[in-house]
Amino acid sequence: MNRKICKLLTIVLTISLLYVPGCGFGSQPEILHVAIPYSDNIPDIDTNYYINYLEEKTGIDIVVSFVKIESCDEYLKMLFDSGAEIDIVLFGGSFVPGDGVLEEYASRGDIYLPDGEYKYVSEGWDTPAGAGTVLWINKEWLVNLGMPIPKTSDELEDVLEAFKTGDPNGNGIHDEIPLAGSAGEYDLNPVEFLMGSFAINDPYHSRMTADGKRIWADPAYRDGIEYCRGLYEKGLMDKGVFDCSYGQLCEMVNSPVPIVGAFTSSSIGDVIYRGNPEVMARYVHVPPLTGPAGEAYAMIPENKHKIGAIILSRSEKKEEAQLLLDTMMSEEASLIARFGEPGVDWDYSDGKDISIYMTPSTIITKNYIRDVVQNKNLNGVGPMAVPEKYIYGVTWNGLNSDAEYVDARAQMAYMDFFVDPGGELPVGNAELSEYLDRHMIAFVTGEEDVRSDSIWREYVSGAEEILH
Amino acid sequence: MKKRLVKTISAVLAGVMACTVAACGKPAEEDAWLEKACPDKDETAEELYEKALQENILVVYTVSTRATKTKEAFEAAYPGLCVEIRDLRSPDLVEEVEKNYYSGNSDCDVIICNDNSGEFKSRIVDTGIAVPYLPSDIAGKMKDPESNVMGSFTYEAEMLFYNSAKYDECPIENIWELVNEEYKDRIYMPNPLHSFSTYAFCGGLMCVEDELAGAYKELYGSEPDTDGMSVTDYFWKRVSENIVFTNSSDEVLEALGSGSADFGFMVSSKQRFAGLGYDMAPVYRLEPFSGCRTSYSAMIARNSDNINSAKLFIRFLYGESDGKGEGYKPFSTDGTWSVRTDIPDGNDVPLDEIDLFVPDQDVLTENREYLEKFWTGILETKA
Repeated sequence: MNRKICKLLTIVLTISLLYVPGCGFGSQPEILHVAIPYSDNIPDIDTNYYINYLEEKTGIDIVVSFVKIESCDEYLKMLFDSGAEIDIVLFGGSFVPGDGVLEEYASRGDIYLPDGEYKYVSEGWDTPAGAGTVLWINKEWLVNLGMPIPKTSDELEDVLEAFKTGDPNGNGIHDEIPLAGSAGEYDLNPVEFLMGSFAINDPYHSRMTADGKRIWADPAYRDGIEYCRGLYEKGLMDKGVFDCSYGQLCEMVNSPVPIVGAFTSSSIGDVIYRGNPEVMARYVHVPPLTGPAGEAYAMIPENKHKIGAIILSRSEKKEEAQLLLDTMMSEEASLIARFGEPGVDWDYSDGKDISIYMTPSTIITKNYIRDVVQNKNLNGVGPMAVPEKYIYGVTWNGLNSDAEYVDARAQMAYMDFFVDPGGELPVGNAELSEYLDRHMIAFVTGEEDVRSDSIWREYVSGAEEILH
Repeated sequence: MKKRLVKTISAVLAGVMACTVAACGKPAEEDAWLEKACPDKDETAEELYEKALQENILVVYTVSTRATKTKEAFEAAYPGLCVEIRDLRSPDLVEEVEKNYYSGNSDCDVIICNDNSGEFKSRIVDTGIAVPYLPSDIAGKMKDPESNVMGSFTYEAEMLFYNSAKYDECPIENIWELVNEEYKDRIYMPNPLHSFSTYAFCGGLMCVEDELAGAYKELYGSEPDTDGMSVTDYFWKRVSENIVFTNSSDEVLEALGSGSADFGFMVSSKQRFAGLGYDMAPVYRLEPFSGCRTSYSAMIARNSDNINSAKLFIRFLYGESDGKGEGYKPFSTDGTWSVRTDIPDGNDVPLDEIDLFVPDQDVLTENREYLEKFWTGILETKA
């Protein structure tokens, strides 16, 4: 009797487990293993609004593997060298592959490219590419010294001199760094901004124009380097600028005692920590400075499609992986990835408001969740395709220290300083770029004498050799 | 004379307190808070400091980033005390303070807000959510006892500025000249629905409509043909065709500085940035008005847990008893005027030599629905 009951119960239980209402046999959700760079800003991936939304939308069970290795290239190498069970890798923040890295894996057949292209880009998270970099200056120091915002390269030099000698932070110590930076990224390297007072500057395309002009060989370019050399020599540009890491730059700029007079970055939020209104209030953007020949250009931005995700060729669930990534690229998902939970963190605007770009608004942000601890999206990681009208249509959240608002104002001020490339810009030549960057640093630091004609000729012919 | 003034102010403040508490029917624990807070008790800075040292970090909600300078000076003057600044736009500040209050949250201790649109007064002051604090040693030195009810600690103006790089002197003498076609997209102004001081100016013109109509007649020699509209609405409808709306006065300042604007309405305190090379100059004389007087309030948020720190901070912000304290200095700049008789104005030209009106906040409150609808319509036409 007992055995019979047991058997019966077993059958009932088995059937009930197999026949989950609405699922039926063979409809267990597919599991996708997704690698995501670890972030302190995402406290609980299991309850993350965006992940749950994607799972619900696709019926796929997303199993996240957090990547704690900071270098994306290093991680990719380990991933492809190993047999780790990963279907998709998401990129974002500082976790992005270096130039040519993905192409190399793709050529080896490690990356699956639907339709033969990198479809899964990230468009909409970063500050809309206007100026490649912006000069931010300590306006409190200017006020303390009774100096106006510089409009020319000569005026900047005067200001930096005053920053150095005038004790603008008033602590009686010569601890001021007139112009700080880091050579790790073009936008953080002040030399790149300063070159715009002399010549069109486009480091992302090996400093060449659409019609093939070699800016790096131009006398105006050389004048620009000489100017930077002068600043460096006089201690007006931080002597450690080319060795300074991104983190060190941030620490200097965010120091409770103000020590930095000016720095460059494409977004002020890249350098000034979130929730730091005192520091944010110190700095104001400076439009491109007019050089001795009357030139003033904004640095040309990278304008490269950032890859948000890749599918591994070895994945046995390519179809599901495509479904997931296609869903992430939809407008609905992109808006969640960018702004958070609809109705809670943001809403569509009726257009009666003014956006941060002074256009009719399309999105009203209710909770500002960018770069803060939140559980609504992946904080910029992964592919997205936010339509332009939403990128430019965001309303101001009212905070004076809102980095997006500060950036938008700077970008608008730089608008008049763009040059029409007059055609498609050349693809950057990695070897040439490395050569030019290396020599730029050597000239500015004085390791090589930019004023020597023979050394300059040698440098130019070296670059020409690479091109040929 | 002074004693009488102090008594008057104390009576006004006491009256406000009594009214707010009675009007709201605060629960017993809140009355207990008020009893404990004693905003009308005279305490010296030293006494407050001693008690403040036992308290937590002071949280200040402010619409002015200048408060960060006051914070730095305060922390230097009173070692051991810490201040956290949260900068917000006026409507958001009111929203947040209200939200805190109704959810029983005591997140905010001190409120620094532009108090001119009627919104702050009706939602925060009249409801008792913010409590004025003005010690008698300072109260006796105020220019206008009336404004003490609102805890005003500095006067400013929402007024017209012109591009001084383009014009040697203001190219207009009458406000109606702003409707001229030559100024199409050359006038910048913050969205009045998001800026209390701009709202006060835009809405407040209805309080001085006769003067506005008179200025039209003076310029054109006839009454305006408003097609049934009020003269104020007609004026704004016409001039808004030339206006580029912005989010804040900072954008107006930058537009003037970059040469994108010929004129800009903005808060007068932005004048302090003239030394930074922004080419702009204030329009002091304009028929009938160049703008309106505005003011900033500092009050204690009801249910503040750090009441002594809050009182000490507000005293400090007022410039302390002798008016020489560091706390007010960040606010004493070009484009500001002192509320105290013993502190000189920050601006060279006194308020009474500028064509400004003072908006009636009650009128603004009564007409809020209408004004919001009107301005929403205006903004829609710009979309």
